[in-house]
Amino acid sequence: MSESYRSYLINLLPLLSPTNTHFVQHFIIPGISSGSADFLDIVKALGEYLTSEEDDLRTKGVQMLSLVIERCPRDKLNRQAVRVLTTFYCSKLEDTETITPALRGLSHLVTFPSFSSLEVSDVLSSLFQQVKMKSLVQSTRSYVYSIVDVLINTYRDHLKNIGEQFLSGYAALASGEQDPRNLLVAFKIARVILTDFDISKHVETYFDITFCYYPIVFRPSPDDPYGINVDDLKDSLRSCLSATPAFGSLGISLFLEKLAVAPSLTKRDVLHTMAVCFPVYGINIAREFGRNVWNALKLEIFEPTDPLTEEMALDTLRVFVRVLLSSSDGADNTIDTVLQAICTDSLGFVGEPEKAQAKAGIKVLRTLIDVPSKLGVDAINNAMETLIGLFHDPGEVSNRAAVIALLADLLSAFVASVTPDPSTTTEQASEDLPPLIHSSLTSHKDVIIGMFIVGLKSSATRLPGIRGLSNLIRIPTLLTDSELGYIVFETGELARKEPDEAEDATTDVLLLLASIALTAPHHLANQTLPSLFAMLPEQAPSRDAQTERAEYWRALRILSKLCAQPTLFEILVIRLIAKLELLCSLSMAQEISAGGTPRAEEIERSAAYAHALLVTLANTLSTKVSKAPPDPDVPKYVDRLLSHLFRLFLVAAVTSERRIMQDQRLLRAGARIMKLVVEALSIEQQQRFIDGVGAAFLHGQVKAVTGGDFPPLTEEFKPIHVDASTHQRETVILFAAAHIPIRKEVSVMKNPDVKGLSVLSAFLRDLVRWCDLSTCSTLQRGAASELFATLVNKYADDVSDFLNEMRTSYFPATLNDSRVPIEARRKAMDNWVSISRGLVVRSHPLALSFIDSLLTLLDDETVAWGAAHALGLLVADDGVLTKRNGAVQKILHVQKYFNVVLPKVMDGANKVDGTKRATAYLIALASLVYAVPKSLYATQISTLMPLLLRGLEVAHPEIRWQIIETFSDNVSAFSDDELLSTYASTLVVTILKNCTVVDMPEHKVRVAALKCLALLPTAVRYDLLHPYKPRVLKDLAMALDDPKRAVRNEAVDARTKWYKYSG
Amino acid sequence: MNAQIFNANPTIYVSQKSSRKSRFEAGQSLWVDDDDDDDEERSSDADVEPIDQDEIFELIRSISDPEHPNSLEELRVVSAEQIEVGDNHIVVEFTPTVPHCGMSTLIGLCIRVRLLRSLPPRFKVDIRVQPGSHQSELAVNKQLNDKERVAAALENPSIVETIEKCIETAESSRRV
Repeated sequence: MSESYRSYLINLLPLLSPTNTHFVQHFIIPGISSGSADFLDIVKALGEYLTSEEDDLRTKGVQMLSLVIERCPRDKLNRQAVRVLTTFYCSKLEDTETITPALRGLSHLVTFPSFSSLEVSDVLSSLFQQVKMKSLVQSTRSYVYSIVDVLINTYRDHLKNIGEQFLSGYAALASGEQDPRNLLVAFKIARVILTDFDISKHVETYFDITFCYYPIVFRPSPDDPYGINVDDLKDSLRSCLSATPAFGSLGISLFLEKLAVAPSLTKRDVLHTMAVCFPVYGINIAREFGRNVWNALKLEIFEPTDPLTEEMALDTLRVFVRVLLSSSDGADNTIDTVLQAICTDSLGFVGEPEKAQAKAGIKVLRTLIDVPSKLGVDAINNAMETLIGLFHDPGEVSNRAAVIALLADLLSAFVASVTPDPSTTTEQASEDLPPLIHSSLTSHKDVIIGMFIVGLKSSATRLPGIRGLSNLIRIPTLLTDSELGYIVFETGELARKEPDEAEDATTDVLLLLASIALTAPHHLANQTLPSLFAMLPEQAPSRDAQTERAEYWRALRILSKLCAQPTLFEILVIRLIAKLELLCSLSMAQEISAGGTPRAEEIERSAAYAHALLVTLANTLSTKVSKAPPDPDVPKYVDRLLSHLFRLFLVAAVTSERRIMQDQRLLRAGARIMKLVVEALSIEQQQRFIDGVGAAFLHGQVKAVTGGDFPPLTEEFKPIHVDASTHQRETVILFAAAHIPIRKEVSVMKNPDVKGLSVLSAFLRDLVRWCDLSTCSTLQRGAASELFATLVNKYADDVSDFLNEMRTSYFPATLNDSRVPIEARRKAMDNWVSISRGLVVRSHPLALSFIDSLLTLLDDETVAWGAAHALGLLVADDGVLTKRNGAVQKILHVQKYFNVVLPKVMDGANKVDGTKRATAYLIALASLVYAVPKSLYATQISTLMPLLLRGLEVAHPEIRWQIIETFSDNVSAFSDDELLSTYASTLVVTILKNCTVVDMPEHKVRVAALKCLALLPTAVRYDLLHPYKPRVLKDLAMALDDPKRAVRNEAVDARTKWYKYSG
Repeated sequence: MNAQIFNANPTIYVSQKSSRKSRFEAGQSLWVDDDDDDDEERSSDADVEPIDQDEIFELIRSISDPEHPNSLEELRVVSAEQIEVGDNHIVVEFTPTVPHCGMSTLIGLCIRVRLLRSLPPRFKVDIRVQPGSHQSELAVNKQLNDKERVAAALENPSIVETIEKCIETAESSRRV
């Protein structure tokens, strides 16, 4: 090294501050790395500083050296240099001025590869002799811990050889440490020492330096810059406490002492730690302190401070019991006295079922079953016998409910222990149940079933009885088939009873029966279902026979709950279809015998009954199809259910007389069933079905969908023809339902047409014409809309002819022509919306031009409102174009649409003012914002706010409702946005105008307004709304007297919130 | 407030689901609802649904007992049958769990405050203990139905605090 460099260093050094690492980083380290400067040269250069008499200079010298070492490449120090440096640093530890930088240097030096075990002893002995931890600050102490930490991890064997000296030395160093940052490292070191070193002579010392921190109550300040996590700290201390069995006797006593006095949070910590420690401390300690531990835990379990602590105590007990049982292996005849005490105590409590402690007793007994042992089985046996005895004791009749509940609790232990994970199969699970317990359960099960069944008979014991039974049936391989049959027989009785008699047990009974149905459907089929079917009358009850009607509906609802299981569902379908057929033919027979058309009232009764039957089928199917994965048996109902339904509906459609199956509500229910079944079909099955449906509805070949069975036609079936009868036209809803759930791979009307248009295009064009007829009902137009949406969405490329025709001729000639009557234009708007929606959802390129056409209509007064409303409908969920229905959906299509439309609408709303046109834009904005998720416009809410508030002035209830709902959705934005909170007062005033029946006749709006008002107190600062409180309370008092119950409920809520709203 | 516990071990009953019937069950319609959605949409705006005993019961059933972590309904302190709705006049009877229950007045006050806030002002509300269910029946009734006394009680901050705590559960649990 050149002399100039050296003098340069010497001149610079006095200017250095301890934090000036820049100099080291950029001037010295590069020299060392490149080899142009030797480390020893630096030491030499620093020479006089390192030994200077002046404290300040000396400190700086050592600091400088440590900084260099810290940044020095690890391979640039040879053994000799390390040796010299170690000796040097060790000597500097005596000096109070240099101890901090010296420790810092050492903490880095020990990580060098050339540092060897030779130096370890030197470092340690100087540390132990020179360093007085109490006089050092936290950061300096942390160097000491990090030195020891590195040494103990790298030179563990060497440290073991040092042995005694190290153990006592470190203990002395570490004792009295207070800072959590250092403790984290200290606990880590202690854990290694306790597990790897022979501490037999230092148990007490180490006990002192670890247990003195227990339990940790340290709480970091909320903005703790050091990021100390209390849980980390607790965990690492816990790992020390549970590191060695040597702590056993000392530790347990301390735990018990803490447990007795601690607050509940600490109690849980202590219990957790005990659970961690028991397995380490071992069986001998567990035996020695067994009594005391049990007494302490008993207190926590039987007189719990809170449920969490009780839970934790039970967990600890479980571990404790496992430790106690670990050696005996069940074969050991000398049963532990502690375990015996646990059993006797718990059994004692179980013997008094009326007390709350009995429940805890059962919980304790359940912990005994986790480890298979004779003792556990005996205890369970005893408990069962005790409970059985109590149940039969005439003096204890009043406690029967409690007894049954306890028994049910006890049994749930076996359910829990064998609940099959998704990964384990049931066979494995049943093996888990120890044979001893199984045989004990088997020997008691007759009595137990008997008790539960008796329990069903009276209202107080009914619910626990049902719970017991449902636990019992879930214990694998316990009950025989005939016993299940008996249970079904007894509970089935209950299911049929009047709801007043069975009170609210019906739901639970049905759940029980439904779970039996999964394993043993034949019992339900033989015992429960027949009597339920018997409750269904042959004919619809007369109009005033309200109870009969309620009864058939109850039976149907129960059937719907029970019959999701495949075998039972098949029975249900057969029986209900038979009923339906009977109803149809009976109503025809009456007509003939009466010699004319039956009265409308009679038809309605039968239709309502038929409707209930169809709804039941639809509800049951919905459960089957909606679950994941859907039941595999659904597809076969194309033939077994849909063909029957088609026949019934179509026969009714081709006659001019009144038939029950012509009712719109029935058609809707039928369509729902159809959608559910078709949804479950595979693509091939859908193809076959759609081919049949097409043949029937487009070409009149009705037998293609009815399974080949149809009476001779009186008139031709051609529902989509322009001069079809109303009844025929209405069946188009079934046609639509069949098409809604099909996948896009299914081909529909593929044959090319003579005129060059594809068949599908031609069909859609015909459908538009069919729709625009003045005779077209709402139901029919709804069906057509669904067809437009689904077909355009799935086959957009096949229907480009149709789409072009719509744009080029239909839009200008019908929608945008002011000479066309308003009514016709409104209807045309519906078609337009459905078609556009099909395109928007798949982000089709043509979608934009369809949207633009709608936007131009906003300036046409006659249809502006409709168009404005439609802009929201385009992205609202309509239940047709959904994933389940196989719609072609592009991700982010809503965003795309929103980003195109919002600027245009906002523009319009801001530009035109005070006219009807402005209103149209406001409506468009409101329905658009309402339809999309709030995240899309969250950033623009402050610009939207004034426009939406203006929109609230529009008299249209639907618009007001949408805007208020939007506000409710965004009310949380008020709390964090300063700008927005200024609108809060305006909002309160405007919304109050929608709360009372005088101002707002539509109750839906009133409900929304009150809900929104109720949200404000939690979201907005009190001082902003303080002036309005009296007025709100006064106006809400009027809303309390609303004619609608739903409104009153919301008013009560809102008013209470405002009562409590204060600064 | 009061360290003495009047009934340490009350009988707890199961709380019932709402007893409100749908239009079909009430015999107003032949038709069952398609789905399980509420019939709000269907009922037209012209229909008037008067305040009935079920509705009053809904308001007070989930008030907590001052002594136990249970609702008044679970303790059978209040029930729908004990409520009478007349023209602008409501009588609510409640049954203390034990005849010497010192909390009766407080329970009554809770019911009164809850109804005061939740009912239109046109109603006159009488709150009484069920005849024969309390040893100082008359005193309690007088206390609960005297405007001045109620007002005086509600000026005591610690009473108000207890009441607020008890009726808090009624306010939050009504959301179904």
